[in-house]
Amino acid sequence: MLEIRGITKQFGGLMALQDVAFMVNRGELVALVGPNGAGKSTLFNIIAGAFPPTRGQIIFNGRDVTGLPSHDLARLGVARTFQQTTLFGEQTALENVLHGRHRHVPARLLAGLLATPSYREEQREVERHALGVLELLGIAAYRDAIAADLPLGIQKLLTVAIALATDPVLLLLDEPAAGLSHDEATRMMNLVASEIRQRCTVVLVEHNMRIVAGWCDRAIVLHFGQKIYDGTPDGLTRDQRVVDAYLGVAELG
Amino acid sequence: MKRGLLGLVISALVLLPPLGEPYVLHVAIVVLIHVVYAQALYVIMRMGYLSFGHAGYIALGGYTSALLATKLGISPWIGFLAGGIVAALFAWALGTVTLKLRGIYFSLSVFAFAEVVNAVFRAFEVFGGPAGIAAVPRPALFGTQLTTHLQFYYVVLVVSLVSLFFLYRLQWTRFGCTLLALRTRATEALAESIGINAARHKTFAFVVSCFFCGVMGAVHVHYLRFVSPFVFTFFLSTDLLVYVMVGGLGSYWGPMLGTVLLTGLGEQLFAAGYYKSLVYAVVLLVVILALPGGLISPPRIFRRGGREPAVPEAAAATAARER
Repeated sequence: MLEIRGITKQFGGLMALQDVAFMVNRGELVALVGPNGAGKSTLFNIIAGAFPPTRGQIIFNGRDVTGLPSHDLARLGVARTFQQTTLFGEQTALENVLHGRHRHVPARLLAGLLATPSYREEQREVERHALGVLELLGIAAYRDAIAADLPLGIQKLLTVAIALATDPVLLLLDEPAAGLSHDEATRMMNLVASEIRQRCTVVLVEHNMRIVAGWCDRAIVLHFGQKIYDGTPDGLTRDQRVVDAYLGVAELG
Repeated sequence: MKRGLLGLVISALVLLPPLGEPYVLHVAIVVLIHVVYAQALYVIMRMGYLSFGHAGYIALGGYTSALLATKLGISPWIGFLAGGIVAALFAWALGTVTLKLRGIYFSLSVFAFAEVVNAVFRAFEVFGGPAGIAAVPRPALFGTQLTTHLQFYYVVLVVSLVSLFFLYRLQWTRFGCTLLALRTRATEALAESIGINAARHKTFAFVVSCFFCGVMGAVHVHYLRFVSPFVFTFFLSTDLLVYVMVGGLGSYWGPMLGTVLLTGLGEQLFAAGYYKSLVYAVVLLVVILALPGGLISPPRIFRRGGREPAVPEAAAATAARER
């Protein structure tokens, strides 16, 4: 469903990614792993359309989407979260998720100005759907809370809710468990591995091996911009190159 | 309650003026015109853009209608619309380029454009040069020119109420809500990631904002019956900002409150010349220091620790973030 072909990215003289290639199949839960500075986030941002690669192609559902701006990519069904928890902070949780429905409802400005019955009915339907997403993630109780006031664990879930509200085909999660407590991270990953992956394919960036081994189908390891491993999480600890790359950087296991 | 109050205000605006003296009507006209300017400016301030040059678009609207009426004899009624359209076209052309900029860069680009507009009007004889355009006619209705204050008051009232209704409803539409998602660069990236074409939304909002400034600018010029490069200057742009900031950005009623209070006050102080700027400056300073959310928001002293967190954990989370 997603095919990364020979992606290379150069920032000035720095080679951030070098000829990285892999496939993601429909329904998979894949982790992009690597020590800091390995190029995970760069690759992630390229897939999400934040900036184009220097060379290479991204094929999504048989279509070349390389360099497509992120709002067009979102319309094709690619949603993402951000490493730094990004929300519409001044708005309520429900309003945040409502934005996620944007691509599914026409603006109908004139009808909106006049608040026609059909427009209001449509709006209620959008709200019902958004509330459903909050319920799915177990945070419907916070629907009227201002997003910036929520605890980090709920905020992280809310960022996922916004992305999920777009009905994505492919969901890209940038360190969904970063900054969360052990229990919160477990809650998040249980949701990702059950409710969320039933709805879409998931690619996540993670360097916590507990999460990769505990919930993901497959791990792709980047090191200095090159892919050094592509296989089951179990095989990670037996791969000499992965062990070397991680030695003294992060704990394995 | 709110509806009742609004109905009362509108009835008063419709029914009371025949009792008013010309001077009172003059103040009412000036206030209504500026309320629309401020409310139009609020459209883009709501999405995090500060304009130091809205007077440029007001001038474009005003000059368009004045030129059409004096040179080609075209009815001011058409001129009002033409003024809005010309302002909107320029906003579209400039907005597609400058709305990519954020913060002070955008503000300065709009300021620069307004200065260019003014310089062009001053430089070319076709536009009247420094002397401007005199003898701009009042519109006519059923064969009578609307020359009295009372007659023209109703023109302003109708145009402003229609504009204000549109601008009020706009913020509650899905389009208006989407604009709130574009307030900062970070939220704009998030908005893009969920399929919102930020550039298109921002440009359209800017066009709407400038359209209403253009329409009202035209009405303004036909009220004054003359226009010159010294009517719609940088100081008008900053006055509008002061109205919005003093009233408060938190709600639609904020800019309206600020404008009504300060233009009412400003007219009283007009004869006093420079005192107007002085009073505005002092009011702005006091409000920024004591009421950062503007007059529409509760004062800081009441808010400190006062606002109930919407969720129990919220207070703890805020504390954790601040640590």
